[in-house]
Amino acid sequence: MILRPCPREKEVKELLEQGHWPEACAPELRAHVSACRSCSDLVLVSEAFQRARTEAAGAANLAAPGALWWRAQLRRRQTALERIGKPLLGAQIFALCVLLVLAGGFLVTQARQGLEWLTRLEHLPQASALRLEDLWSSAFFTSAWSPLVLIPALATLVLLGGVVVYLASERQ
Amino acid sequence: MLWETVLPDALAGDAPRTESPSMDSDAFAAFYARSARPLWAYLARVSGDPALADDLMQESYVRFLCAAHPVPALADGEVACRRYLFRIATNLLRDHWRRPRAASIDGVPEEFLAARDASAQADSQAMLGPALKRMRPLDRQILWLAHAEGYSHREIAEVTGLAAPSIRLLLFRARRKMARLLREPAPSHRRQP
Repeated sequence: MILRPCPREKEVKELLEQGHWPEACAPELRAHVSACRSCSDLVLVSEAFQRARTEAAGAANLAAPGALWWRAQLRRRQTALERIGKPLLGAQIFALCVLLVLAGGFLVTQARQGLEWLTRLEHLPQASALRLEDLWSSAFFTSAWSPLVLIPALATLVLLGGVVVYLASERQ
Repeated sequence: MLWETVLPDALAGDAPRTESPSMDSDAFAAFYARSARPLWAYLARVSGDPALADDLMQESYVRFLCAAHPVPALADGEVACRRYLFRIATNLLRDHWRRPRAASIDGVPEEFLAARDASAQADSQAMLGPALKRMRPLDRQILWLAHAEGYSHREIAEVTGLAAPSIRLLLFRARRKMARLLREPAPSHRRQP
């Protein structure tokens, strides 16, 4: 299709926009529009759309602006919360992964040592180490008793891991 | 856990503080009163669906208010705000057309059909409606923006996201086709001897 705009199109468009067409324009221009395809198309289409706009605008059933305003505020708040929550959630997942790796590492280490500390636990009731101070000192200074510290620590970590997972799932 | 207790400042606003002015509720109400009807007319006539126009118009305003930089346009005045709003609405329309549609008419509310019948009685709708339906969605959009809203080629390019030089050709073709369709007698008239 060859694009051949009429040189008088701009003039006609201005008249249409100002509402001066057809009454307030020269008869010579009206004669031109009736003869020029481009200008007559412009007039026909513009008038149809302007009429449609006026009618459709009158038929609009508008919502209250206040409701839209508060809906927007709620959405902004929600978006802000999500933006804050995203890195925290990432940190929580990262912490959970570290916890799992540590727990796995501990289990592997204990399995390699053959769980010999369990035999010591069997003799615990007869041992004088039942006294709290002795138990405490042996737990820290005897490598074989290190599970006495590690097991509660691991249990605490697992508990905290559960809390982390709970919080992470709560955000979802 | 309530994050606002941890980071209260982050909830004060979703965008970083900028020098551009923001719109308060009163200013928004005034802007809404001036711009809502033209926007609804655009959405209703281009989509051919008044119920959809209601939904998209509300969503357009909410997105307008939620925009990260509300309105870089706000500093440029209301005309730029309107253009920005029409741009959001145009994108929402485009998203709607891209979505797969429900095939059954059972899902369409009855009042929607009644509203369409009633509006079809209007002269302009009876004349323009069938012709618009035979146009491509993009043609409908640019014709409306050019001839109902009076936007220039550059403004239409900004709203639709197309290149400004291509708007001229697209508009010329669309206008010619629309004029041909408007000159054609309506199908009901054609059936009469």
